[in-house]
Amino acid sequence: MTEIEISVENILVNETVDSNEEIIRRLGTLLQKNGYVKDTYLQSVLDREIIFPTGLQTKTLGFAIPHTDAEHVKKTTVAIATLEKPVIFREMGSADDEISVSVVMMLAVRDPKQVVDTLVKVISILENEVTIEKLEKATTALEIYDAFYEHIQQVSDKKAAGSISH
Amino acid sequence: MYKVKILIVCGSGVATSMHAAYKLQQYFDEEKILVHIDGAGNNELEGRAPSYDIILSTTMVTANIDKPVFNAIALLTGIGEKELAAEVISKVKEIMQEKGDK
Repeated sequence: MTEIEISVENILVNETVDSNEEIIRRLGTLLQKNGYVKDTYLQSVLDREIIFPTGLQTKTLGFAIPHTDAEHVKKTTVAIATLEKPVIFREMGSADDEISVSVVMMLAVRDPKQVVDTLVKVISILENEVTIEKLEKATTALEIYDAFYEHIQQVSDKKAAGSISH
Repeated sequence: MYKVKILIVCGSGVATSMHAAYKLQQYFDEEKILVHIDGAGNNELEGRAPSYDIILSTTMVTANIDKPVFNAIALLTGIGEKELAAEVISKVKEIMQEKGDK
């Protein structure tokens, strides 16, 4: 199984932005600068967000998972930003419902079939209230990175334990 | 036994449909029901829908699809997930019975 490489250099903490476009731009620029995506990625994510919005309401706070087609990606990863004040994203699958988003996970997926296991672990953060709280309270990129990895590790352990009991 | 075919669609077919497919598969494993689940991008929906029995989507379905369509977002956030899984499972059983009778 191919693991997704997550890097502290793609994490932003308590960013202050005025719009969802602004935080998408910051994360997209970061991914491009760090060599994970092509120069077409950012604009493609911005365009996609209008057609296929990615705001998701979890039990405790609003998330967004902006992403786009694999052709714009060089290397699979996730860039993460927590926001000082939430910004509005439109809700996934809706025409005009709005979500007040505090955490943005921007996905760069090169080959979805190869990384589906890790992708599932990443997206399952949306269901983990403990991890979400840690992300919310984090004051450094490293804390976010740790919370993220701890979650992925937990899900892996649970799966391993499950397969033994079968 | 007829194997029900389920297509899960999202905006680009790279993330949320893959995730939803994986989650849904676990419910069917638990029920010990054999189904075939594929993920796809929204642009493939109209072309591929005729070959499937049930559609799940994380995006708005605007295409005119002659199949039962479910909103898959519960499989991403976990909110209402068990209820959604139960609805899909009961639809699958219904289809298996219909096809089995033929």
